[in-house]
Formats: sequence, C-alpha cells, structure tokens
Amino acid sequence: MTTLSPERTNSDFAALAKDAAARLDWLLLLIVAGITTMSVFVIRASTQEEIAGDPDFFFTRQILFVVIGVVAMLAVSLIDLNRLARWHWVLWGGLLASLAIVFVASKAVRGTSRWIDIGPFSLQPSEFGKVLLMIVLAGLVVESASRVGTVRFTLLAAGVAGLPAVVVFLQPDLGTAIVYAVILLTILFIAGTPWTHFAVIGAAVGATVTAVLWALPASGVEVLQPYQVDRLTAFVSTDPDPGSTGYQLEQSTTAIGSGGALGKGPSGASQTINDFLPEHQTDFIFAVTSEMFGFVGAGGVLVLFGLLLWRGLRITANASTRMDQLVASAIVAVIAFEVFVNIGMTVGLMPITGIPLPFMSYGGSHTVTMLAAVGILLGINARRTSRTR
Amino acid sequence: MRIAILGGIGLALLSVLFIRLWFLQVIGSEQYAERAEGNRIRTVVVEPERGLITDRNGEVLVANRPSRDLVARSGELVGQQRTDVVKRLAPVLGERPAVLRQRLEAGEGTPFQSVLLAEDVPPQLERYLAERQQSFPGVSLKDTFTREYPQKTAAAHILGYTGAITETNVDAYRDEGYQGNERVGVTGIESQYEQFLRGSPGRVEVEVDASGEPVGRGVVDSVPPRPGRNVELSIDLNTQAALEEALSTQLSLSGLAEGAAGVALDPRTGEVLAMASYPTFNPASFAENKPRDLRRVQRDPLDPLVNRAVAGQYPVGSTFKAITATAALESGVLERSEFIGSPSSLELYGQEFRNFGYQSHGNITLPLALEVSSDTFFYTLGTRFFERPDSKLQEWARNFGFGEPTGLDLPGEVGGVIPTPEWKRQTFAGDQFGEIDRIWKPGDTIQLTVGQGFLQATPLQLATAYAAVANGGRVVKPSIGRRVINASGRQERSILAGGSDEPLGASQQTLETVREGLVQASNGDLGTATSVFAQMPADRRVAGKTGTAEAPPGEDHSWFVGYAPAENPTIVVAVIIERGGTGASAAAPVVCKTISANLGTPLQQCGGGAQAN
Repeated sequence: MTTLSPERTNSDFAALAKDAAARLDWLLLLIVAGITTMSVFVIRASTQEEIAGDPDFFFTRQILFVVIGVVAMLAVSLIDLNRLARWHWVLWGGLLASLAIVFVASKAVRGTSRWIDIGPFSLQPSEFGKVLLMIVLAGLVVESASRVGTVRFTLLAAGVAGLPAVVVFLQPDLGTAIVYAVILLTILFIAGTPWTHFAVIGAAVGATVTAVLWALPASGVEVLQPYQVDRLTAFVSTDPDPGSTGYQLEQSTTAIGSGGALGKGPSGASQTINDFLPEHQTDFIFAVTSEMFGFVGAGGVLVLFGLLLWRGLRITANASTRMDQLVASAIVAVIAFEVFVNIGMTVGLMPITGIPLPFMSYGGSHTVTMLAAVGILLGINARRTSRTR
Repeated sequence: MRIAILGGIGLALLSVLFIRLWFLQVIGSEQYAERAEGNRIRTVVVEPERGLITDRNGEVLVANRPSRDLVARSGELVGQQRTDVVKRLAPVLGERPAVLRQRLEAGEGTPFQSVLLAEDVPPQLERYLAERQQSFPGVSLKDTFTREYPQKTAAAHILGYTGAITETNVDAYRDEGYQGNERVGVTGIESQYEQFLRGSPGRVEVEVDASGEPVGRGVVDSVPPRPGRNVELSIDLNTQAALEEALSTQLSLSGLAEGAAGVALDPRTGEVLAMASYPTFNPASFAENKPRDLRRVQRDPLDPLVNRAVAGQYPVGSTFKAITATAALESGVLERSEFIGSPSSLELYGQEFRNFGYQSHGNITLPLALEVSSDTFFYTLGTRFFERPDSKLQEWARNFGFGEPTGLDLPGEVGGVIPTPEWKRQTFAGDQFGEIDRIWKPGDTIQLTVGQGFLQATPLQLATAYAAVANGGRVVKPSIGRRVINASGRQERSILAGGSDEPLGASQQTLETVREGLVQASNGDLGTATSVFAQMPADRRVAGKTGTAEAPPGEDHSWFVGYAPAENPTIVVAVIIERGGTGASAAAPVVCKTISANLGTPLQQCGGGAQAN
C-alpha cells in the first residue's frame, strides 16, 4: 500500500465496497424492506379518502419518512456506539432537554402534547428518545461495569430511565413510557442483574398497576387521564358507542376476522374503506392489512417480524462488545414488545396503549427512529464481522 | 443464555399472536365476515301500499295517501347524543321525553331496524326537522302510507281501523314475517283480511359507511314492495248510506235512544248489503293517530267502537213470533187453520198475561196473529210448548241460527242466548241463587214465544233468520268479503262464504203461512207496521214484523225486521233502536228507507210509525 496508482485506487474502492457489502446483514435489510413495502402499500390503499382532494397525502409523506429513515439508517450504521458510551450523562441531559421542549413549544393533539412543530412536520422527541435511552443505559452499564448487579446500580439505572419515562408519561404518552421501562428491564437483564431484583421490580409493577387503576381512583386520586383508563380497560368491555374504545376493538377484530384466509383485497375491505375501523394508517394498520390480505398477508407479516427477531438476536449474540450487545438486545426487545402490544391490541388480546407497529404504522418520528435502530443493528453487525476477520 | 431467554420470550409472544390470528381469520372468519357485512349493508324496508277496500260496485271505501313517519335507529342514537336528541324532539312532537326514550330502548334488540317515533308527520313539522337535520342525528323520515276514508265515517264498524302492533302481540306477528313496526288491521275488515290487504314489503340494501351515510356504490340490491290486494265487499254503498242516514235521523228524533244498529242482507246469498252501528267513530282518527279523538271514543260509556249489529245482544220482542210460528206449525203444536183466542188478557198457571195495549181480537188464525202481533195467541202456544217434554221451540230457534255466531267474516261477533232448562240451571248455579231461580217455569217458555225473557240475539242473527223465511228455508251464512282483486284489477279469488247454507227444515207450506202473516203485518188493515209500509209499490211490498222488546230498566227497544219484494225477496233488513219505543215508531221507518234506497223507490213513501208493537 505504498504506491498509489489509479488502477490500485479503483480496485481498492471496489474492495472497500465489496468489503462493506460483505459486512452488511442483507437478510435483515431485506426483511425490513419487505415490511416497509407492505406498509406503504397498505397506507396508500387505506387513506385514499382520508384527506379530501389529496388521496395520496399519507402515502407521499410516508415515502418521504422512509427515505429520511433510510438515510438515517445508513448514517447511524457508521457510528461506533462504543465511542458514545462514556458520553452517556451528556446524552441523558440532551434526552431530558428535548423531552422538556414539548411542554414549552408544542401543540396539543387530542389532549396530548408530544410533538414539536418543524415546518409542515412535527417531531416527537420521545420516539428518538427510545434509541437515546438505550445508548445512555448501555453506556452506564459499560462505564460502571464493576457495580452492575448491586442494588445501588439497579436503583441508579431505574432512576436514569425513570426520569425521562415520567416526563413522557406526563405528556401524557403512557405507551412510550412503558417502552422506556421495557428498555430499562432489557438492559438490566442482559447486563446480568440478579433475578431477585426482577422479582422485586415485578412486585412493584403489580402494586403500581393495582394502585393506579383501582386503589387510588377509589380513594379519589386520579393518576391516569380518563381516556387512558378507558383504553386500558376497554378490551374487557363492550360499549356500542362508536366513539368508545370498546367499539374500536370490536371493529378491529371484525375487520381482521372478516379478512379470512385470503383477504378481501384493497377495494373490498369494507371495514376500512367505509370507516368502521378507525386510525387506518396508525394504530390499526395491522387490522387493515389483515382485512385486505387475510391470513396469508397478516401471517406473512408476522413471519417477517419473526425473521427480523431472529436476525436481531443473532446480531445481539454475536456482538463484538458489551456496549453493542446491550444496545442490540434493547432494540430487539423494543421491536418485539411493540409488535406484540400493537398487534395484540388489534386482535383483542391487549389493551389500547397507542403503541405503533414498527415499520408499519404511519408517522415520521417513529419510522425514522425504527429505521435508525436497524442502522444501529447493521453497524453492530458490520463491526463484528470486521473485528472477527 | 439471557439472550436465548429474550429470544424465547419474543418467540412465545409471536406464537400467541399467530395462533390468535389463526382463530380470527381461519376458524372464526365466517362470523366476523357476517358482522362486517352487517356493518356495511343497511337494509331499508320499503313499505307496501295497503290494498284498497271497495264496495260491491267498486266504490272506494278505504284508500291510502302517501305520508311520512319519524323513525330512529336505536343503535345509532346512543349515550349523550340520545339524551340530547330526545330532549329536543319531545317538545316538538308533544310527547314526554320518557315515552320517546322508552321507544328507543325497545328498539335496541333489533339494531338494523328503525323505531317508530311519530306517525304521519305533518308538513310543517317535516320542514322544521329538515331545516335542523344536524340537531337530530340518527332521526329520519320514512315514506309510508296513511289510510284515507273517501266516504268519511261510512261503514266505520265494517271497515275497522289499522294501528301499530302492540307489545303484547308483537311475537305472534313476527312469526308471520312482520318486522314488528308495521301498521296492521286491528278490527273489522282491516283485521279480517289483513293477509290480503298487507302486501309484502320491499327491501333496498344500501352500502353505508360508519356514519350511516350511503357510500359511492350505493344500492347493492333491491326488491320492490308488492302492494296489498284490494278487497271488494258485498256492501252496497247506496244502501249503506241510506241505512246510516236513516239510523242517525231516527236517533236524533228519538230523544231517549242510546244506540242503534241495522243490518241488510241479500236473503238469497247471505251477502251483507249494509251494516251500521251507532254511536259511531271516525276511522281516520285512528289512521292519523289523533290521541285526543281516540281517548274520547275509548272513554265514551256508549262504546262507539262496538259493532252493535254483530256484538250487541238484545231480547228481540215480537219479531221472534215468526220463529215461534214456524216452530209451532212444524212441531204440531198448531194447525195451519186453527183458531186460537186473542183476548186482552189470559190467566195461565195462576198468572195474568196481557196483550200489548190490552187489545182483544177474538178467535184468530196464525196470519192474523202475526198481523196484529197478538201476544195472548202466542202465550197459548207457549203453554202447549211447555207441556211437551222436548224443547221444540228452542230447537227451532237454533235451526234459525240463534244461540251461536252466524260465522260472518268480521271479528267480534257474539252468539246470543237461547234459554233452555239446562241453560237456566247452569246460569243460575251460583250460591247467590236459590233453587227457585234454577227451575224452568211455564213463564219462561211463554216469554220466549214473544222474544222476551232470557232470549238474547244480535240484529245479524235476526236478519239471518228472516232471510231463511224469505228464501224458502235456507239459513244462509252471512258474508261481507266478496272478492280479492289484485293490483291489475283482476279477481284473484272469491272469498264469498256461499255454499255453506244450512237447510232450515221447515216445509214450504209452513213458511208460506208465516210469510202471509208477515205481509199482512206490514200491509194488512190491522198490520202493526202498515202505517209505515202501505205506500210501497205493489211489486215491492215489504213483509216484516215489528218488535217492542221490554228491557227494564228504561224504555223498550224498538225492532223491525223485514224483507222485500215480498214475493221475490232480494233484501232483508233488521234494525234496532235501543230505547226507541215501539217497533213501528222507530225501527220500521229505518227499514223502509233502507229497502227503498236499495230497490230504488222514493223514500217519501215510508210513513211515520204508529204506536204498535
């Protein structure tokens, strides 16, 4: 490599590209591309009449989000997480600051303030905060490796994750706050926190749920917004009021079930087209997919998520550093959790928490965050292959 | 290791979703597909136009006019929205909010069917609602029909009226394919021939969106309604109008009269030519659902809704003498040319029995006894019947059709009473009666010979009995429905009851003798009704009998039953004026006017009645 010639440079560049291509998890990329393609197709088919005069409003925007997401994915894949580990306190401060901004500069959408307006779009910092929190917590574990497993450390980690979670909860965005909790639990778990700590956490969570949903309201202290209680408990009630969440759930299961084995096709999906099913492109996009493409389509999406999980776990298991492994595990857990909670909601197994379906639900911040997370996984995979060589 | 656990949890969660998806989409798919279809497709029932009711000449008695009902779908009007709409609607409709709320709640069991909130909405209310549509979500106007009566109150009791299906019989109607919110015939012909009149509803299936609005593809399927078929009655509107006019005139003349009824039959076929009952009602107030009018009619102590011609039971007085005469001749109690005394009074079984007006006629034969309406003549026959062990008089009364409903095709007919020793024993079996009340006494038979005592009969039964005398011994089964005619005007089927006539069993000689007496009673020098009928043309003479039935407390009931032309009868009319006095004074003129109208003779020929029984 002492002499430089144009030919050598060319072949070097080719080798570099070849090398990069070899280090890429093509299968993971293909799976994500598959789910995303399905997503934009369903969004296009189900929102033709949502905005009068602009049938492709949601479709073109989602395409834009995906493009931004892919750029973010590629950019993020080049960042070495290990260098960020020791900046975790700074990142934590940034996370808290960005979450706090929404209280100052935000518009309330349906009684919640999660968004910051930027031109025609609005940002949802709590979405990006998911990835940020993973890096913060993983950095914390790596930097204080010796104290991991102590009660003090577990409490410290809980505090670090808990503060942003509470801020998000106050926006109020219960779903994302729960996702933050999932990130905390996953990183503590993979870091090797003793089982006893999880038992105590489990008991605490149980007590809190009981208190929030039952004991405190009974004694006159309302912790949750009424709509939140309604949504959380709707999957056990059947209210015929079209505005109620029980009605939404019934329409969702009706849409999914009526899709049958092969689906009713994009134009025959009456539950969607005739608006019996609410929130086509966001919370209930899986129900729309199921109605249009039946068990074949919906089951196919589930299989893709399964494969995605497998690739993610494989990357986690083979991660070259502890930092990489912790972040990868958190990404896998968050995707798995969101998939289960969102689809579980549409099929009537889980309460409505407003958690979107990764790579499927319409929405800029969420789409970009999820694609960036895939970028992180790709980067981890690439570093592993480069180091093992 | 921990990564494997993480993977295991992920796999388990995905499997749960996969299994649930399998259950929803593969195993339970049909049920959800049905539910989705139920969401998407709204079936709107299109009401059929109800059949017309006409008289025998095609004169329309009941028609329809297009109208609008206010309806709501309970399933779409829920929660706070329902409360608000009910609050706004109640004062507009003049109903209490609780009533509307109740109706909406009643409709909750049938989500795809609308609930009736108000019938026949007036145009100004229609405009009011149309202008404020957004204030009344879930409420809409439905095209329907309202019954219309071109002849006003004519034949009200025959026609009956339509009304909503009530909660008590909704199940029975649902079994027959009704939705439960239709208007159905409640009484009269409307009820009797509901099956022909109703038609079958049509259906329009529309694709709708979540807000219930039709979407682009619009009508998915539609079946047009099949209109009801027309029912032609045997009624002759001309005769009907004359009977009603004469009855109402007579009622206003007789100050004490309470009610009245009349029925005209064709004695050859049993077809009802006219039938009226007073006081009457306006069927339009039911069709238009005018609560105040309805309440007034329902609370009237004289029961305007009761059809006295078939449901009124009365002693028939001397009109029964034709039946007694037939029974006496046929059972050998009396010879055709036998003379029996008609003194002013007669002592029988230690009791004094008097002639009406204390008149005395010497020894007379049967025709003259009918002409002058001798009571003592018939009392003597009564003692002869009483002496026999068989109840021949009652048996003949039964042969004439008394004691049970005639079988007229009109709801509400009653059977009346023929008193027999067994009947008396059973009727007075209660502890409040003594043995003396239960014994059949000579007076019971003697009273029966002149249509008094325990005898109870309807005007229709009396007309049927006289029809048998007039037609030579056939007890016809009266009928009022004639033909069912489909929308294109063709006869679909005959509903004439004809063919089920019962033979009376009396000889022509007997009937000839009785008819002679009846002709004399209306035309003879001494006839009790001659003053009324004397002016009738010779070829349209009336044969008939007066009756003055004692019904204490209060004035006597005035009866007349007769047929014409006497030699070849085509009409028999029975009329009662409750508390109207003597037969000739009140009832006979009504019969005369009805017959005159039917036969086409001037009404002025009917004379005023004299005071004779």
